[in-house]
Amino acid sequence: MIGDDDRFGGYQDTGPAPGDVDLDRVWLGVAAQVWRREPGPAERAAGRLLHSPGLARALVTTPSLLLGWVIATVVILLAGVGFTLGTGTPWVALLAPAVAAAGIAYAYGPGIDPAWELSQSMAVSDRMVLLVRALAVFGLNAALGLAASAASGAAAEVTFGWLVPMTAVCALALAAATVTRSPNVGVAAGSAGWVIAILASQAAEGRFTAAITDSFFVLPYLAFAVCCGAVVWYATRIPRGTS
Amino acid sequence: MNVELTELTRRFGRTQAVTGVTLEAGPGVFGLLGPNGAGKTSLLRMMATVLPPTSGTLRLLGRDPGGYGPRREIRRRLGYLPQNLGYYPGFTVVDFVEYFALLKDMPPGQVPGAVATAIEQVGLGDRARAKLRTLSGGMLRRVGIAQAIVNQPELLLLDEPTAGLDPEQRVAFRTLLREFGQRATVIVSTHLVEDVAAACSEVTLMDAGRMVFHGTPDELIARGQGHGIGDAPLERGYSAVLAAARS
Repeated sequence: MIGDDDRFGGYQDTGPAPGDVDLDRVWLGVAAQVWRREPGPAERAAGRLLHSPGLARALVTTPSLLLGWVIATVVILLAGVGFTLGTGTPWVALLAPAVAAAGIAYAYGPGIDPAWELSQSMAVSDRMVLLVRALAVFGLNAALGLAASAASGAAAEVTFGWLVPMTAVCALALAAATVTRSPNVGVAAGSAGWVIAILASQAAEGRFTAAITDSFFVLPYLAFAVCCGAVVWYATRIPRGTS
Repeated sequence: MNVELTELTRRFGRTQAVTGVTLEAGPGVFGLLGPNGAGKTSLLRMMATVLPPTSGTLRLLGRDPGGYGPRREIRRRLGYLPQNLGYYPGFTVVDFVEYFALLKDMPPGQVPGAVATAIEQVGLGDRARAKLRTLSGGMLRRVGIAQAIVNQPELLLLDEPTAGLDPEQRVAFRTLLREFGQRATVIVSTHLVEDVAAACSEVTLMDAGRMVFHGTPDELIARGQGHGIGDAPLERGYSAVLAAARS
């Protein structure tokens, strides 16, 4: 085993022990086994589905990055409350995912994530990691919402009207991104799925024409969408170096 | 050549961070010296594929990082230590190194052995299970180095790697650098000229975004002969080249 006084190059400098047993190599084998962390069933399943153990690890570690998770959760719950209360016009429903996306991008972007720059240099795309994090945040919140629904009707409304459908949309986006190896395609697929669902429900209720032609709130909502876009841009920008 | 830069430029708004840098590098340890704001970090970020160049051409490990597929291949073979490396405080040393090994797309079966090797190489075997929040600044820097070398990179980019290391650790780290330099391209951005003198086969000096010197440490020392500023020969060369570039 490497002693405390041996530093970086320590283990390479020591030669084989008597009898041609390379104790350093033996120790590394032992350390690899001792330190090895067995992934749980969910992580193994996610690794197979996503074709990436790295994305699976990102999925299961998302809630443990607590500050980011809390911020993202607050934002998506506020968006969900706005969505469930803002009935009568589809614009709230159509723009609510943009609010959630901005919150998640900020919470797990350079604004909060301390290792964001390092993540950007990884083979697994940082945008794929963000998609995975979005699914993890919505999925965990949906699970908590289902538990809370037993006690509160308001929680059930947010859970079944917002958290569960958005978890499905995030899963759809991630699946499309995994198949096409393009996070942009995934985002497009998820967005399209959500828009179709909202407009279809409006049409089913006979409000499709009114939903499209009611222009009173269009400008405020568009301005709001621009603000969300600005947050996403700010949260994923590349700052200048310092030296 | 593992690194080929041609007239590489990067602007941030009106600020020209890097201006027309042309450089080629094969295996070896290369030092990147320069004062604050010289553009070293921006240049390193472009080589780390974190920052796209504004203009010029960049080829890394024989590939153009502009395309998704080649960029992914480059990143699999890349090790990068940012200047300001953030940590997940709740992760252990093993968790952190393993997480980034997986994001580098290493085959899962190779990860435990590679993680153990990297952690031992930076002398943190006895703290492998410690949470990152409990480690000192120097230990955290070594964790950052461990994640950078865990995939045995062909291109290793280190931004101020010795910041926070004590003298004994710095000596050991230079040994590690020289070992990597025998088979990989190692580019080290640093303010410490003694690191360059001890470990680097070539040195590039930047000032105000431009490359103002490229050569061996001995050639830089020669530039400083007769120049009074600086305690060590390399420091005198450094200040002489900077003074000439600014005059």
